[in-house]
Amino acid sequence: MPEVEYSTEMALSPEVIWEFVKDMNNWAPMLTGYQEHEVIDDTDSIWTLKGDVGILSRQVKLKAHVTEWSGPERVTFTLTGLNEKVDGGGTLTMRSEAASETDEVAEPVKPRRPWFGRRFLNWMFRTMFRRIHGEGPKRLAAPTSAEVRSVLTYTLRMDAGGPTGPLVNAMLGPAMLPAAEALANKIAAHLEQTHLAPS
Amino acid sequence: MFHLGCQMAWFKKQKRKLDLETDVVIIGSGGAGLMAAIAAHEAGARVTVVEKTDLIGGTTAVSGGVLWVPNNHHLAETSIEDSRQEALEYTRRLADNRSDEQLIAVFLDTAPKMLRFLEEQTDLEFSALERYPDYHPEFPGGKPGGRSLDPGLFDTNELGEWKAKLRRSPVFGATAMSVSEATDWGVFSNPLGLDFKLLGERYKKGLVCYGAALVGNLLKAVLARGIEPMVGAAARELLEDEGRVVGVRAERDDEELLLGASKGVVLASGGFEWNKQLIAQFLGGQLTHPNSPPGNTGDGLKMAMQVGADLGNMSEAWWCPSVMIPGEEYDGVQLNRGDFATRSLPHSVIVNRAGQRFVNEAQNYNDLMKPFFAFDPMRYERPNLPAWLIFDQNYMDKYALQTVVPGMPIPEWLPRADSLAELAEAMGIDAEGLRKTVERFNQLAEIGKDEDFQRGDSTYDHFYGDPKNQPNPNLGPICKAPFFALQVYPGAIGTKGGARTDEHARVLRSDGQVIDGLYAAGNVMAGVTGPGYPGAGSTIGTAMTFGFIAGRDAAGKSA
Repeated sequence: MPEVEYSTEMALSPEVIWEFVKDMNNWAPMLTGYQEHEVIDDTDSIWTLKGDVGILSRQVKLKAHVTEWSGPERVTFTLTGLNEKVDGGGTLTMRSEAASETDEVAEPVKPRRPWFGRRFLNWMFRTMFRRIHGEGPKRLAAPTSAEVRSVLTYTLRMDAGGPTGPLVNAMLGPAMLPAAEALANKIAAHLEQTHLAPS
Repeated sequence: MFHLGCQMAWFKKQKRKLDLETDVVIIGSGGAGLMAAIAAHEAGARVTVVEKTDLIGGTTAVSGGVLWVPNNHHLAETSIEDSRQEALEYTRRLADNRSDEQLIAVFLDTAPKMLRFLEEQTDLEFSALERYPDYHPEFPGGKPGGRSLDPGLFDTNELGEWKAKLRRSPVFGATAMSVSEATDWGVFSNPLGLDFKLLGERYKKGLVCYGAALVGNLLKAVLARGIEPMVGAAARELLEDEGRVVGVRAERDDEELLLGASKGVVLASGGFEWNKQLIAQFLGGQLTHPNSPPGNTGDGLKMAMQVGADLGNMSEAWWCPSVMIPGEEYDGVQLNRGDFATRSLPHSVIVNRAGQRFVNEAQNYNDLMKPFFAFDPMRYERPNLPAWLIFDQNYMDKYALQTVVPGMPIPEWLPRADSLAELAEAMGIDAEGLRKTVERFNQLAEIGKDEDFQRGDSTYDHFYGDPKNQPNPNLGPICKAPFFALQVYPGAIGTKGGARTDEHARVLRSDGQVIDGLYAAGNVMAGVTGPGYPGAGSTIGTAMTFGFIAGRDAAGKSA
């Protein structure tokens, strides 16, 4: 089963990130290939994504079911394919950087610190994001202390079933890490633009 | 030096500076273009390849990658015998007096040499597909197999940083199995027999098959000769000097490039199947759903016309029925999948809006399409458009339907109904007509003989049928609900009309004179097979043969 994990740092508290993440409507459009989503209730929604599977692009409908709303630390969800035989799930984890360095036992996944090149690319991405989207609206919350840093970690696993599963999984694997990176970085860029840009 | 002098004179006259000076400029990076590049280089020329899209391989890369070469040396590895005379008789019949017979002979004489050259100069090692029949194997000179050649697999890691530039098929690109393996494993009739674990491992390793394997090998050979194709460079105009083509004006991003070609320019830029204006202007059929990459917009044809090229075979295409899965995209446009097997397997028929069959559904994809374009002069309409594939749960229980194999959920994009009458109403098909057609078809399936359209009579039909289904591998009743309908659209692998050439692949004017310095090969050239499709790989076999001839001749050597 292909599984990926991606972490990114933000100069924001986990609470600020949680305020954004707890409402799926905020970040669903940031998913790679997002077409639309329909919120059914507090825990269930249907996402329609257009994703690159192998060489071509295909539309996939997934039912997302949140199994754990555990603010401000974590949201965990499962994914079930509605038009493809695929299942999976994921977790968005928010932790202060201090906690991530000292409280390793309490958390199931220790975020990896991205290598320098990746951090540079992230910086570039966020800079470009701000250039494209402007300096953003006025702050929505009080500025966070410069010392406060959090790590947002996104884990995603998908498992294609049926007889073709081994082949589809081979194709899904390479596409998942870029998707995880894109979501985490877009959330980070959006929040930094909203909360840290000079007013 | 004379040619270079002409070239320099042009640029001096135009007060333009040459961006690149070479001997042979090749426009397009499919099988014809890369073959021309290798041939010209081996004949001592400096070569530049320009490719409009960001990927290498053109139509060839998304194809089955098979070459049709009659009388080839790999036939010796089979039990099939062949001769030039048989191949000539067969190909002439399919060309239907609409092709230059001299060029047919040139193709048949040169293709085996091209094949040997190819295997000597690249890592390609073909194998004869002994069970892949010619498309009319029962015609005089037709063969039950062996003329079509399989390029095998290719490891894309051998391309280094060019790996990502290799075009892949949206349909075959992820399933790395050779044509021989696909045949042995029963890719269509026994989809659950495929080793998907092995295919997954091959995908992870970077192995590719079919057209990508062929182009991968060609690209590797081109790169090994120090030729780095210019990708994203669209040729826009042929540069002439006193009637001779001396270069190309190309555009890359916002940059204009003037490429001087002291020995010649080879047009190998594919067909015009994605150019609606040219389709309306020339094609005999209503092509709406091409199967090739959308970059094939007739650029080479237009450039040839601008310098006065004569044209031939303009009403023809390598026709192929298309089906669509909504939402699937390739190169940013809706993907049109060629349908090769659904219509050939038991438990399926093709009907028009009257609910009537009108063709042997299992025949080769090129000839299958022709009745789709039948014209009713009294009503001024085409009675066989639109058309639908009708099949039942028996089919879904046994066979593959594009991306779906037995055991997978029926996709929501596939229209279905619990009865044929309901299905007919939903699709706008005459219900009574469909009822009668299916009743009749089921009777024919029962006896195993299609008395109406001879489906299953030819060895070719059996190749895409189910060998376990007897007495006829192509016939089975449509009787188990739910029933399904899939619209079949007029598609084509590519058009095959274009610039007329002589035996040296030199482009001709309408008075029969050669346009000095201009060559054509592949789908931009007037196809030598006329309206016919002799066998699997006829497209690439002819394209690479005339690419070979063009490259050699431009460099100053005969093929």
